[in-house]
Amino acid sequence: MSTFDPMTLFFIIYESIGVWLWLMLALALVLTAGIVMSALKLYRADLPMRRPLTAALVVGLIAAIAATFAVPAWTLADLGALSGALDYAFAFLFALVPGAIVGALVFMLAARRCTSQNAAMA
Amino acid sequence: MKRRDFLSGAISTGAIALAGSAAMTGTMTGTAMAQTSQARARIVIAGAGAAGLSLAARLRRQMPNATITLIDAKKEHHFQPGFTLVAAGLWRPENVTERNADYVPRGVEWIEEAVAEFDPQAKAVVTAGGRRVAYDFLFVATGLMLDYRAIAGMDPSLIGRNGIASIYAGPAQAAASAAAIDRFIETGGLGLFGRPAGEMKCAGAPLKVTFITDDKARRKGRRDAVRLIYNAHNPAVFAVPPVHDKVKALFAERDVAVNYSHVLKAMDPGAKRATYATPTGDVTLDYDFIHVVPPMRAPDAVRNSPLPWQTGPLAADGWVEAERATLRHPRYPEVFAVGDIAGVPRGKTAASVKWQVPVVVDNLVAETAGRTPRATFNGYTSCPMVTAIGKAMLIEFDYDGTLIPSFPFIAPLEELWVSWLIEEKGLKGAYRAMLRGRA
Repeated sequence: MSTFDPMTLFFIIYESIGVWLWLMLALALVLTAGIVMSALKLYRADLPMRRPLTAALVVGLIAAIAATFAVPAWTLADLGALSGALDYAFAFLFALVPGAIVGALVFMLAARRCTSQNAAMA
Repeated sequence: MKRRDFLSGAISTGAIALAGSAAMTGTMTGTAMAQTSQARARIVIAGAGAAGLSLAARLRRQMPNATITLIDAKKEHHFQPGFTLVAAGLWRPENVTERNADYVPRGVEWIEEAVAEFDPQAKAVVTAGGRRVAYDFLFVATGLMLDYRAIAGMDPSLIGRNGIASIYAGPAQAAASAAAIDRFIETGGLGLFGRPAGEMKCAGAPLKVTFITDDKARRKGRRDAVRLIYNAHNPAVFAVPPVHDKVKALFAERDVAVNYSHVLKAMDPGAKRATYATPTGDVTLDYDFIHVVPPMRAPDAVRNSPLPWQTGPLAADGWVEAERATLRHPRYPEVFAVGDIAGVPRGKTAASVKWQVPVVVDNLVAETAGRTPRATFNGYTSCPMVTAIGKAMLIEFDYDGTLIPSFPFIAPLEELWVSWLIEEKGLKGAYRAMLRGRA
């Protein structure tokens, strides 16, 4: 691992998934932009971020835990293939990806709801 | 690219560090450190397999003024590490089949003919079409030849029929082997496995096929209907002692019998009988299923040239003489042997190619640029040993048989899903990046 090289990693991922890499990066950018914009809206409305953030973390975590059990199937294996802490840890790390996507969407929706409710009350 | 691939990719990219680390097992290198040489050398690469294409890509980038010629008649490129998964019925032949043309770098001339003759005294190779190509440096990367006919009665056309499987011959034969395994499990009986006595590519594959057959039989509730025997060619099931001990224990646990020092020498496909040479004489076994691993040797063009070892254990099969640390020919210093054809212990895997190619390229670049070549190859090879569908042991070792795990957190002799993950999801991308000289 001492010769770890980020460029090598990039090429391996690119060779694994091709142009979908750029689409995924675009999705990541869109979600990041959505989170930033939602956070800014909350800030401008002088609303706390705690509720949307908590909702996002809880739902994202639940999604990640649920996805953990689906990860072996993605590798054509069954759930019984996970046989130790390392296997579960890796499966969970992979499952964090859909968990993060779900969490980002929940944050945006919750933030939108908060700002809408605030606007209605005003 | 299908939606499933996209989802795979999404997960891979999201867990970028971990996925990347896993996928790069045996493929880590310092590409950013690559040196260049402005030498106008004529370089010939004989063979457009994993080693040949990877060499072409790296040489093109690191020696921009060199004239690089790649010689091979083969149009298709096979991701051979995936053959086991085809034989397991998990992958399709299309998943392991690509076009060589997609990997030949720009600026490299590809002569689409086989090499017919090596003439190292005259520093030239002759193609099957009679074209003579002179070189300043030659990389022999022809791969090896599967010698099915060295087993009396065996022919590759029999694969998939009469209970005969063999995953080595190609993607279609690996798929036919998957069907043969399934039929065997349905009908039951005795299954024989084994390996040839000489040097071979991916020495773990015969064991993997045994484990996969056992696992598939268990999953179908048919394990009691099949008897499995692994015929080891010598007194060990694997050349590395700790791996031997582990596999032996797993076989015992899974009721796979082992015969030691049994080498398949003849078959009667009609009668389903296999004859093995043993230290005490020939032994004939009846079978219902047999996984045949053919003897492997150098292609005729190499064997008939002055390049192979002249004496020693690697001479008989025609492996190219090479210094094990540099892969350089001791009698013809402008010749290098890379990949399966190299006459070095172990190392007939794509993982070895990954480590061999940067060594020979970096040394040639250094030498032609007036620097001292310093890169050395330690014999690294890797075998994600599938022990069941969804489980594998990530075994990596060097010339001395010392286990050299790339990841301290993955125990090499432990059956893990994470090692399976590397086999099923990580290796192909790493392999393709290697072909482009990027990993």
